Amino acid sequence: MEINAAKRKIPSRIEGYGETSGKLYEGAFARAPSGYRAGPRMRAAVPNGKSKVTGSIKEAVIASGLKSGMTVSFHHHLRNGDFVVNEVIRACAELGIGGLTIFPTALFDVHKAIIPCIQSGVVAKIMGSVNGAIGKLVSEGKLDTPVVLRGHGGRPRAVMSGDARIDVAFIAAPTADRAGNISGRTGKSACGSIGYAFTDAEYADVVVAVTDNLRSFPISPVSIPGVYVDLVAVTDSIGDPAGIVSGTTRVTRDPLRLLIASHASKLIEASPYFTDGISFQTGAGGIPLAVTAFMKEAMKRRGITGSFGLGGITGYFVDLMREGLVRKLMDVQSFDLEAVNSISADPNHIEISADWYANPWNRGAAVNMLDIAVLGATEVDVDFNANVNTEADGALLHGIGGHQDAAAGAKLTIIAQPLLRGRVPCVVERAHTVTTPGEVVDALVTEFGVTINPRRRDLLDAVADFAISKQTPLVPMDELAARAREMSGPMEPIRVTDRIVAVAEWRDGTVIDVVRQIER
Amino acid sequence: MEANAIKTARAGTLESMDCLVAVADSDAGRVIEISGASAVRFKSSMEKTINDTLDALGAGERLRISVRDNGALGVVLGARVETAYKRYAGLAE
Repeated sequence: MEINAAKRKIPSRIEGYGETSGKLYEGAFARAPSGYRAGPRMRAAVPNGKSKVTGSIKEAVIASGLKSGMTVSFHHHLRNGDFVVNEVIRACAELGIGGLTIFPTALFDVHKAIIPCIQSGVVAKIMGSVNGAIGKLVSEGKLDTPVVLRGHGGRPRAVMSGDARIDVAFIAAPTADRAGNISGRTGKSACGSIGYAFTDAEYADVVVAVTDNLRSFPISPVSIPGVYVDLVAVTDSIGDPAGIVSGTTRVTRDPLRLLIASHASKLIEASPYFTDGISFQTGAGGIPLAVTAFMKEAMKRRGITGSFGLGGITGYFVDLMREGLVRKLMDVQSFDLEAVNSISADPNHIEISADWYANPWNRGAAVNMLDIAVLGATEVDVDFNANVNTEADGALLHGIGGHQDAAAGAKLTIIAQPLLRGRVPCVVERAHTVTTPGEVVDALVTEFGVTINPRRRDLLDAVADFAISKQTPLVPMDELAARAREMSGPMEPIRVTDRIVAVAEWRDGTVIDVVRQIER
Repeated sequence: MEANAIKTARAGTLESMDCLVAVADSDAGRVIEISGASAVRFKSSMEKTINDTLDALGAGERLRISVRDNGALGVVLGARVETAYKRYAGLAE
């Protein structure tokens, strides 16, 4: 057992994960790459060669040469509407292929259909975010090997460095042609950006595009060119549009959340980053989106315009761009129909890969250009460590997403969250899981005001006026934690066993924390 | 007011940060059942709140208290238990 730089006890060997010595979290920017990138097997197609097109997913699985014990990857742009993961795993089960490692960017509730295949051993290991029913299964210790959690930047880093190898990548393709060119912009299952799939296409030994919209060659625009793609599997439907794109995202009307958003916006306005060219990532959550709404007012009032909005893009950001308040959108995942339509029509709405978005080990990801990140968390502890992976009862319920990357990249990282969710405090002495270290979290904003990480003396100076204006209180962390304790009352500890059900990696591949099985 | 005891009484809602409390007769002494959002992390303090509230009202032991919680703070739980008990005992509408 060793203690890493986030003060977490990590066993020197984790069954089903491996040795952790030399792989413990050392600090947000402590580790740099060396040597050369990994690469996929070389392969060639000749003129008038064999057709890439297969009639079904099952035929494509056979043609790919997928065997028991291999690693298959998926991307989650079809979100809770995805059919591809379930159908590939079902085909594997029918073909007697087992012991697979699945490497999705994220799994959703719709993927509970593969639970029987996890129980029967078709799927032996999961590397990726697990939400909903599969997260619950993992928390209860039903998988033999721990889940490996990586964020949006850590995943492409793992692939490029050779930490994670992909035998066969299955890419949900809302539009494709017979040469394997892929786009997410059109088709009945359109999802907009397919940014998470780019690295898989470049690094997998075999790449299968799964499409329900095979068009004449060549399609345009192309997101992933056919030079990476071995097979095109044609199927009736790759997803349910109702689960792929959400309805219009609206700003919250809850007064408590609006108050928090207003406090956060005042902090941003007081910071040195509130100038022409400001850039931000706020995601699709209720409070962060409301922060954007308040910032929009402030930007108009002060006559400044932004440079870009980053990350998962919603219709709200599309409107900001149309009104000239940001010049560009850099989109790794299009959340709603407005975002899908915008990325298809507007060249200022740029599709970016997860590598470009967030990978710490390339020559400069987009997060490095960020001024402001507004994020959420289930818990923040007195050292500003944030937990986005486990719930109040200790169950693994969320992936890392872009949390670590946006926090590490942005000049001002704000976690905006009510002090309590129900009776459960969001500010605690010690987070149950550390996803993002306090080293890269600059401020916490609750309904009680702004709490600045004492490490950021410059920010404390920037908001010195708040003490006079009294509109936005400044609350030291120890006061906030005491208030949370007083309101919620004494809590019983989460009882866990020694067994590790998930390993959370920091974006550089070191182990930042482990999640243990809940005792029942 | 004349005590007009009825078999069960309830107070509260299942809204966020509230709870639904039911008080009924019990043959087995004071029985407390808690389910819902806060049960895992706050069971002991919820039981203490319920017992302290009932004791302060001079309630007896032959009661079954069922709480369906949706994240109520301690003060809310106490208020709901008080009202439910008073309704049970015919001390309130």
